[in-house]
Amino acid sequence: MSTVTSSVPAEHEHPKFLQHHFREMSQQFDASKIGMWLFLVTEVLLFGGLFVGYGIMHAKHPEAFMAAHHHLDKVMGALNTIVLLFSSFTMVMSVWAAQTNRRKLTILFLVITLLCACTFMVVKYFEYSHKFHDGLLPGKYYTHKGDTVPGQFMFFSFYFMMTGLHGIHVLLGMGAIIWVLARTIRGDFSSDYYAPVDITGLYWHLVDLIWIYLFPLMYLIS
Amino acid sequence: MSHTGENAIHVTGPKTYGAVLAALLVLTVITVLASYVDFGSLNTVVALIIASIKGSLVALFFMHLRHDKFNAVIFVGGLLFLAVFLIWTLFDISTRTTVLPTNLKAPIQAFPGAPLNKPVRPSTGQPLGTVQP
Repeated sequence: MSTVTSSVPAEHEHPKFLQHHFREMSQQFDASKIGMWLFLVTEVLLFGGLFVGYGIMHAKHPEAFMAAHHHLDKVMGALNTIVLLFSSFTMVMSVWAAQTNRRKLTILFLVITLLCACTFMVVKYFEYSHKFHDGLLPGKYYTHKGDTVPGQFMFFSFYFMMTGLHGIHVLLGMGAIIWVLARTIRGDFSSDYYAPVDITGLYWHLVDLIWIYLFPLMYLIS
Repeated sequence: MSHTGENAIHVTGPKTYGAVLAALLVLTVITVLASYVDFGSLNTVVALIIASIKGSLVALFFMHLRHDKFNAVIFVGGLLFLAVFLIWTLFDISTRTTVLPTNLKAPIQAFPGAPLNKPVRPSTGQPLGTVQP
């Protein structure tokens, strides 16, 4: 009988966000981190296929890729790179703020990250609409007139597939940040429990990491 | 696994993160400037090296892999498989001149000899039941 009565309070003393199949918070944190890293590896391989395809076509048709990349705006590409790098910084700052129990700073940095993501998508929208207008589209939809080098549609097939998939990841990341922001405002996170902030941060940094490679490969061919 | 629990203890401060951001922005400027310099066939290599330095900074500091050896092994393992995928494919692409042999006048429509959907006598390669010459 005594064991039953002693186990009842113990069951209600465990940390609020500790799931029952984990022994302690640090174990739960490690498990979720490993899961996220494995997912990030699958993301790397997903983009990897596109990068390899890009490498093959670039190696086979260097003139077409060289000529086609002049249609991209380097300034917009560099602006988006800076915006995304800065958003990665504010994301990691929000993780730091959550680690050190600074709830208002966590909210502030998450909002800045979200605004940077919006800026990125707006710049992307202007870039895309400019290309739609000029007929710089993938495959058979390529209708741009006056090309001197043939085969430029191939570059735009890769451009739209890779930056498009990356853009979808930015949108999904924004959704995750909004979720973390809502939970931060609710007051879920502290130095004892900030795994969702950390995990979302990892995802956001991967999106940044992929853009770090996309930027020189798309905008800076020489 | 218990040692990775130390992750929670390692708190990197804003100063480090700010320095990493500054380094990333400087490297972005360098990569833009480098695109105006002609390194010949090494242009893409130079761009990828700078991108990899930036990527390493993001992974080591922003993604905390500095203090997270277990997950670093997972991530680097994935990158190794990507490297095999990329490098072996590019070996193939860069060392073959034509995909089809040039002495072929037309693609072969059917394999000469036995039809592939019937059992074959191993000694002759002809379908079973064929009269031996």
